Amino acid sequence: MDLVNIFIKGVFIDNMIFAYFLGMCSYLAVSKTVTTANGLGLAVIFVLGITVPVNYILENQVLKAGALQWLGEDFVNVDLNVLSLIMFIAVVSAMVQLVEMIIEKFSPALYSSLGIFLPLIAVNCAILGGALFMQERQYSTIIEATSFALGSGVGWYLAIVAIAAIREKIRYSNVPAPLRGLGITYIITGLMGIAFMCFMGIKI
Amino acid sequence: MKIMQNILNSIKPHFEEGGKLHTLYPAYDAFETFLFVPNHTTQSGTHIKDSVDLKRTMVIVIIALLPCLFFGMWNTGYQYHSQLTSDMEGYQSIYSIFDHFLFGFWKVLPLIIVSYVVGLSVEFAFAVQRKHQVNEGYLVTGMLIPLTMPVDVPLWMLALSVIFAVVIGKEVFGGTGMNILNPALTARAFIFFAYPTKMSGDKVWVHGADKIDAITGETALGQLATLTNVDPSNSEIINNYSLFSSDGIYSLYNSFIGTIPGSIGETSVIAILIGAFILVFTGVGSFRIMVSMFFGGLSMAYIFNIVGLENNLFMSLPAIHQLFIGSFLFGMVFMATDPVSAAQTNTGKIIYGFLCGVLSILIRVFNPAYPEGVMVAILFMNVMAPLIDHYVVEANIKKRLKRIKINE
Repeated sequence: MDLVNIFIKGVFIDNMIFAYFLGMCSYLAVSKTVTTANGLGLAVIFVLGITVPVNYILENQVLKAGALQWLGEDFVNVDLNVLSLIMFIAVVSAMVQLVEMIIEKFSPALYSSLGIFLPLIAVNCAILGGALFMQERQYSTIIEATSFALGSGVGWYLAIVAIAAIREKIRYSNVPAPLRGLGITYIITGLMGIAFMCFMGIKI
Repeated sequence: MKIMQNILNSIKPHFEEGGKLHTLYPAYDAFETFLFVPNHTTQSGTHIKDSVDLKRTMVIVIIALLPCLFFGMWNTGYQYHSQLTSDMEGYQSIYSIFDHFLFGFWKVLPLIIVSYVVGLSVEFAFAVQRKHQVNEGYLVTGMLIPLTMPVDVPLWMLALSVIFAVVIGKEVFGGTGMNILNPALTARAFIFFAYPTKMSGDKVWVHGADKIDAITGETALGQLATLTNVDPSNSEIINNYSLFSSDGIYSLYNSFIGTIPGSIGETSVIAILIGAFILVFTGVGSFRIMVSMFFGGLSMAYIFNIVGLENNLFMSLPAIHQLFIGSFLFGMVFMATDPVSAAQTNTGKIIYGFLCGVLSILIRVFNPAYPEGVMVAILFMNVMAPLIDHYVVEANIKKRLKRIKINE
């Protein structure tokens, strides 16, 4: 039950886009059609689902104060937390590279459909945000961290496909010329934020 | 009428091409087409000949809203008078049904006037500036906004929310028919999040409640929200919950008739049902959305009844009673069926309505911050509606492709 709660919280209440404004750049840039938004959203779920557990292991076995105890008694007082930002970024980009190579090798069809989006994910702040939130919230097991990661990913996915569908719908709207393109997208995002506020404050 | 037409015709040259006031032509055009059937004829293409245009559609919705409006006016007076004189026998001899109505009429009328004047001024300004016709869409929005407000809402707040809804909710997308969120709900959400003290609590729903101590106007939902997470054996809690039994003020009968505190238009189930009948009969409102939203809410409330946590009396309220209180039915009939912001496909409408109902009850029960979940639930589904449509259309394409393959 706890795992489900963490997942639901990640999707709706602590939505990456509407609660924390993370991953806005690709959210705004790649949301012109539902098909591409769908591809990018799935890739984000996938990468979040891999990098957050890996970072969780790293955090708890290497970076945390006293985490290096398994090396010997001399390392009990070592605190490598200063390195966590760099380490997380390194893990994210390495994982994205690895995932890219694996997908290219074993599933060329998926690789070609994701195209440029896979390498783009390395610089998506939602991914790094996921790792940092995992560190801040101190999930007790790796399964909880994974559940949080998948929830955040699904939330991001939902946000980007929803705005892509809206942008497809308003393609023929008579939007005032200065607002066309990004301007109206920002306004839509704000209005969607109001709609997503229905979940703020829910306690599960 | 003849005189009006003559006046309009005599000043018409000023507004036409080359006239001094040509920039104001959209404003003139709006008045003319509103008062008279225009003599424009289409110049190209084949068109369906039908007397129901956008204006007639909107007027039908206004007619459907009138029962709610009149009942809301009466209820405003009734709540005030009955709370002021706690002796039930006494107030019935002092105030007649017309006194209630007149009292409410003078309280509600300013809200409607402000809503229309402000909203239509913004519409006219945009129409003149952007050189398009004034659309009639605001006629309905302007009536819906006051009906979703508590009676004591300050007029400047109302004006501000109307401006927000018309400009950000509608005009930036290009006007009527192009918005993504329901403008009336956008206005309500804006004022709800911007000035929460005037939109929630137990001191806003009956006129004068913030000044006179004798009056408390807690809505049924506000009362219910205090019954989550409590000790069910506590005598005060039992007392509060008994307000919902058959002789309490929030009884099923009272909430069906509508003699409970709440927003102006939302309280009476009867008035809303009359409106729903008009909308469905004329084909203006989608019965698919209404029916599926009703069953969505009903099934969610039943699930809560079955789960029924010990310390959460909100969940154990009978499902049908759950739907009759608050603005669930009002939102279902007048807000969710908005043809612009709802899903467009028939299958999509059913999914959209069902999820609206489920989410409304879910937010109501689980989110202590918003005892009224319908507003935000419908806004959320407005956001999701294009996505639902997209996948419904995709599924249909796939189905057809498969059919072609089989035939080959």
